[in-house]
Order: sequence, then structure tokens, then C-alpha cells
Amino acid sequence: MDILRNWKIHLLVLIIVVMSENLGIIKYGLIILLPLLHALVLGGIISFPKFKILSTKQMEVAAGILPIAMMLLIVKIGLDIGPNLSLLFHSKGALLLQEIGHFFGTVILGLPIAVFLRMGRESIGATYSVAREPNIAIIAEKYGLDSPEGRGVMATYICGTLVGAVWLSILTGVVAKLGILHPYALAMGSGVGSGSMMAASVGSIIAAYPDMEQQIRAYAGAANLMSTILGIYVSLFFSLPLATKLYNFLSKFQSDKETAKEKV
Amino acid sequence: MNKLQNMTVAMILSGLLMAVGNVIGYQVDWYSSLLGVLVIIVIGLIGMAISQVPGLNKLPMVFWISIVAIIISLPSFPGSAWVIQITKKVQFLAVTTPILAYAGLSLGKDIELFKKLSWKIVPVTLAVMTGTFLFAAIIAQFVLKWEGAI
Repeated sequence: MDILRNWKIHLLVLIIVVMSENLGIIKYGLIILLPLLHALVLGGIISFPKFKILSTKQMEVAAGILPIAMMLLIVKIGLDIGPNLSLLFHSKGALLLQEIGHFFGTVILGLPIAVFLRMGRESIGATYSVAREPNIAIIAEKYGLDSPEGRGVMATYICGTLVGAVWLSILTGVVAKLGILHPYALAMGSGVGSGSMMAASVGSIIAAYPDMEQQIRAYAGAANLMSTILGIYVSLFFSLPLATKLYNFLSKFQSDKETAKEKV
Repeated sequence: MNKLQNMTVAMILSGLLMAVGNVIGYQVDWYSSLLGVLVIIVIGLIGMAISQVPGLNKLPMVFWISIVAIIISLPSFPGSAWVIQITKKVQFLAVTTPILAYAGLSLGKDIELFKKLSWKIVPVTLAVMTGTFLFAAIIAQFVLKWEGAI
């Protein structure tokens, strides 16, 4: 049994869970720090290569269990959708249209910054999507991973894995506390198509609006499901061409011919 | 040991860790925590089994598991009230903590890769994540208002 043989990983997770849940939810002004965030950071510190606590192989085992454990979260969220189906049906327009924000928001905000920082064609791969596994597959097939676009998508993938959940958890908490956007709207925003990022984001909304917990999860789960199913098609047929066109347009304004040579 | 058995073991193991967190962090008793987690695992396993059926396996497992959970929780599904009542005892945050702990423990291998990247990717990644979240939320806000849902 591969999974049980790596008992060290599970023991560490047990210790991390006990510590994180004991720390509980920490609120500091606009910032909400959830147990899941403590767990992510504690895990990250333990796995730091310098400490030599875990081997690369053990880290791969942890990475392999992650999507399976995630399925239990998917169940938990799915169970909130059924009872709220009529509520979701009443806002089907919002659920459908907010996906436009998910699929193009990355390009609209990310691409100009990447071009400004002179990342060259890496900008396209880095910002056309949230750079999760299916998005990498699209770029790998179209350009290959050693192309500028491929290096871009891998860079956002790696950086997103490290900081994505932490950032979204804190950002969502601050936006939720500001009280400008309705918790249902925030919940849909959190359905970015990545389980850990959604969990981190939803956790912060729930911490701010505990009395709407079930509806928040239903909206987030429905939006995330749509992002997951539609994601691969929309990012292939719409987001990637848009990112390429916008890159060609924006890079015209850069006089420096060196841009393309710079690497991520 | 095949892939399915491995996944089953991983699901049960991570479920147990969720039950531990549920007892420690949210003062739910052991019996309710374990029972709730067990029901969640069973639903997950049903979805997993369906996703292996030839033909149906064209869609990802996350889709089938969602569908099974949604159907079981429909008010018209027999026993849905019982399932919801039992699984409600398992707190959402308790479910997320072990998942993110596993994620954290796998980060070390990405740290080495990260060191090779330019600092530029950090602001770009933050902008990408902010953009996808914020634009979707803003559009949702307007349409929800228009639909009269909020």
C-alpha cells in the first residue's frame, strides 16, 4: 500500500490539523486567517527543502493525496447545492455571466501588468488562465512547454500553487469585510476552478457572513463546477486567442526591442 | 495495489483527519463527526465508481462526485433530509484544513522551481488571481441585482 506506507506524511498532517484547529480563526482588522491557512503555511514550512524533513518523493505522495481529499470537499459542497437548487435557478443569469469574469478577468488585470514588466510572450501563457493543470495541457499541446508561452503558464502555475490560496483567502476576507459586494456575488467569484483556492476564498466569506453559510457554499460550488467544466473549452477557444491579440496590441507600444528576449 | 484501492484508502484516511479537526476545532462529538465523515466518504466513493464506468469516464471525477452529491441532497431524493442532517455536523472548515495541510506538505518541491523564476511572476500571479475573482464577483453582483436575487 503506497499511501499507507508513507505514514510520516499522514502523521504530519495530523499534527498540522491539531495545531491549526487549536489556533482557530484569527481576525486582525480586515484580515481573516483561517485554520486552512495555518495548515498550508505550516505544511509549507515543514516541506521547506532546507529542513530535509521530507523527501521529494514524500512530497509527491502528499501532492497525490491532495486531489482525492479534495473530492470530500466537493461532496460537502455538492450537498449544499441540492437544497438550494431553486435559489440557484433564480440566479441562473448571474451564474452564467459571472463566468465571463472568471475567464477574462485573468487577462484583463494580469496581461497589462505582465507586458509592463516586459515579460515578453511569456505574458500570454502566464495570464490567459489561472494556470491549473488543464490550462497547462492546452499550452503544452499548442506551443510546447519549452516555448515562451509554456514557460509563462508554468511560472503562474508554480507561483499560484505557492501563493494562490493564501492570497485569495486574505483578499476575499478584506473584500467581504468592506461590504460592497453581496456575499452571494463573492461566493461565485471564489469558484475559480481550483479546489484549494476556492476553499480558501469561501472560508473567508463564511467567516464574515456565518449566517449565510449554506447558500454561500451552494453558489461557490455551482460556480466552481461551471468553471471546471467550461474552463477547458473557454480558455482554449476564447481566453487564449484574446490574450494573444491583447498581447500583440499592447506590445506595440513598447519601443524596446529587447522585450521578447527577456525570460520569466 | 490498484489505483482505485489507493484512492479509497486515501479518501478514508483524509476523512478521518477531517473528523479529528471537527472534534478539536468545532467541539462536535466524536460519534457525529465520524458518522458525518463516513457518509461523505460513501458519497465520494459512489461518485468515484461512476466516474470509472466506460463512456462516463470522459467527464472528470469531480463532475460525477458533484452530481451524485447534488442528487442525494435534492429534497425529493429519499433520505436526503437524513443525509443533510448527518453531514451538517461536519464543518466546512474542518474539511478544508487537512486538504490544505497536504497541499502545504507538497509545496517544498515547488519552492525549488520557484527560486528559478523571476520576481516578476509574483505581481503577475497576484493580478491573475485577483482578476478572476474580482471580475466574476462584480459581474455576479450586477446580474444578481438585475435578477432580483439580492
